[in-house]
Amino acid sequence: MNPYMTACEVAEYLLISCRSLREFQSYMFGSSLFGVGSDFDILVIGPSGEPLSRVKSELEMVGRELPLDILYMLPEEVIETKFFSKAKCIPLAELAKYMKTESLDIGMCLLSISSTN
Amino acid sequence: MKWQVRYALQNILENLKEVSACHIDGEAIAIEVPGQAKAIAVISAADVINSELARQYHLEYQDMDFLCGYRKGCIWEGEAIKYLEGNGMGWGNAGALSSGISSGNLRGATHKDFLFSYRLISQVRSIKNLDREFDRVIRIKLASGADLRIGMIMEYEPTADVIRTFWDNFGPIDIAWNINPNGYPTQNAIAAADELGCRVMKWGELRKLL
Repeated sequence: MNPYMTACEVAEYLLISCRSLREFQSYMFGSSLFGVGSDFDILVIGPSGEPLSRVKSELEMVGRELPLDILYMLPEEVIETKFFSKAKCIPLAELAKYMKTESLDIGMCLLSISSTN
Repeated sequence: MKWQVRYALQNILENLKEVSACHIDGEAIAIEVPGQAKAIAVISAADVINSELARQYHLEYQDMDFLCGYRKGCIWEGEAIKYLEGNGMGWGNAGALSSGISSGNLRGATHKDFLFSYRLISQVRSIKNLDREFDRVIRIKLASGADLRIGMIMEYEPTADVIRTFWDNFGPIDIAWNINPNGYPTQNAIAAADELGCRVMKWGELRKLL
């Protein structure tokens, strides 16, 4: 693993390395999207119980050498807190997809995602 | 170079103007700000920093001005905090490191997340004894004789998972104090606290209790 990764590279790495993430919705938000800040803010939305324990354990393992700050929310908590209207969140899958394009423009990516939400 | 040292250097060089920083050896970096003496910070990837580890770092890097727990979930034990502060060294996360560099006082810098709330509760007159067990867990004895174990929850809007994980990591608490003044705990967080046997409070409610 490259010890010095961009937001898009982190998104792709997490999706490939953490199979349990497929059972959840996963996003990146915060200043790390713009290349500033000391960590990558990740939002994981889904059920509690065993699936949650599984994804937490997997993410802890694959993220050992990444500065991740992961927030786990139940779907109803996302609605209650209006999280999406407060923080610009980009699905990890979209970030990973944008990484494959030659020139990444996070601003355009944000506009693109928000217009589809 | 270790991953956390690389990220710390990148963060400092990109976000702090007129500051130069470089890797010295192992987990140590040197920080230079024009007009100030060179400072040494040690960037640790430990999950938990206890007094033994703090002593080891101090022994290895005798000129250390600041010990940084770079991992977001890094937990500091109270004895480690006492050791570092007692020896005139700063401690805390990446945010505290940046603040300490900006203010020119790395040795006086402490973990930003809990700085204000810890100071706030330390000034309450009805508290007769206060023991900081962890960076975010304090045990207090009130003048009335009551004992309370309080956890400081820094999340903007604590979720059910935040409360349960805190309980798992630090043991039973009486009060989960939501120290972020802007958000509110979710209904699921309040229900999770009820199930565990504690209460989630904002400062206004906690102040009345004290």
